[in-house]
Amino acid sequence: MAGSLIKIDEEIVASAVASVTLTGIDSTYDVYMVKVNNWKTDTNDRQCLARVTESGTPNTTANYDYAGKGLRSDTTFTNRSGTNGTEFKFEYIGTADSQAQSNLTLFLFNFNSTTEYAFITNEMSNLDYLGNAFGTQGGQVFTSTGTARDGIQFFMSSSANTSAGTFTLYGLKK
Amino acid sequence: MATLEELTTEATAEIEAAKPMYKQVNNERLEFTDADYDQAITDLANSKWDTQQFGYIQARQEAYGSVQDQLDMQYWDGVNGTTTWADHIAQVKSDNPKPE
Repeated sequence: MAGSLIKIDEEIVASAVASVTLTGIDSTYDVYMVKVNNWKTDTNDRQCLARVTESGTPNTTANYDYAGKGLRSDTTFTNRSGTNGTEFKFEYIGTADSQAQSNLTLFLFNFNSTTEYAFITNEMSNLDYLGNAFGTQGGQVFTSTGTARDGIQFFMSSSANTSAGTFTLYGLKK
Repeated sequence: MATLEELTTEATAEIEAAKPMYKQVNNERLEFTDADYDQAITDLANSKWDTQQFGYIQARQEAYGSVQDQLDMQYWDGVNGTTTWADHIAQVKSDNPKPE
């Protein structure tokens, strides 16, 4: 149906930044979608990460659980899982291969709720820092309630910069 | 092995050296606030701790041959009386030691 995907925020990284935040999640839509295209970093072998924001501030508490599968072209597929982390976790990119980058689609559920956990699904197509093709699928949960989440912040592990990328937030029309 | 306090000191020095750091929100590129810098230090120290304590797990996963290759090693070890597979596993463990 035409007009079902409503663009809410878009951040295009032109100069290196340590974090990128998409804002504008509220009660208007039940489900939101994030598209990340051409996500690159300036440091080798760094993991793509994200946190929910509450009133614009990232929630850094140890309430992030994740489970997923890394589908690798270079070796055996890898299971990824963990509980009580301090961020959502995705895959690794870097600089050893000049084409290394990540492209990511997330669906965000219950972000505006104060009583339900927030859930995301993630699907990612990567060229990792060694130049290996990498696909990832998984689900992640933010296991805290009490405050509505109004956005999502993306950053790299070990305080590396995001050197490029287009981060877009959409609402799925009810 | 470094303690978390020692790693936090390292992280503080690295973040100081990396200043200024920026964040992008609402299409503005803004310098980190003091709270942002404090969080960056915490995140970097925790990342160093995780790498020190648990980095060997991912390193070993990436270094092990595929299941197919390991089965092939075991087959030929059985045929030839060699220890290629055990040597491979021992080498990966030796190259990526578990912290004491």
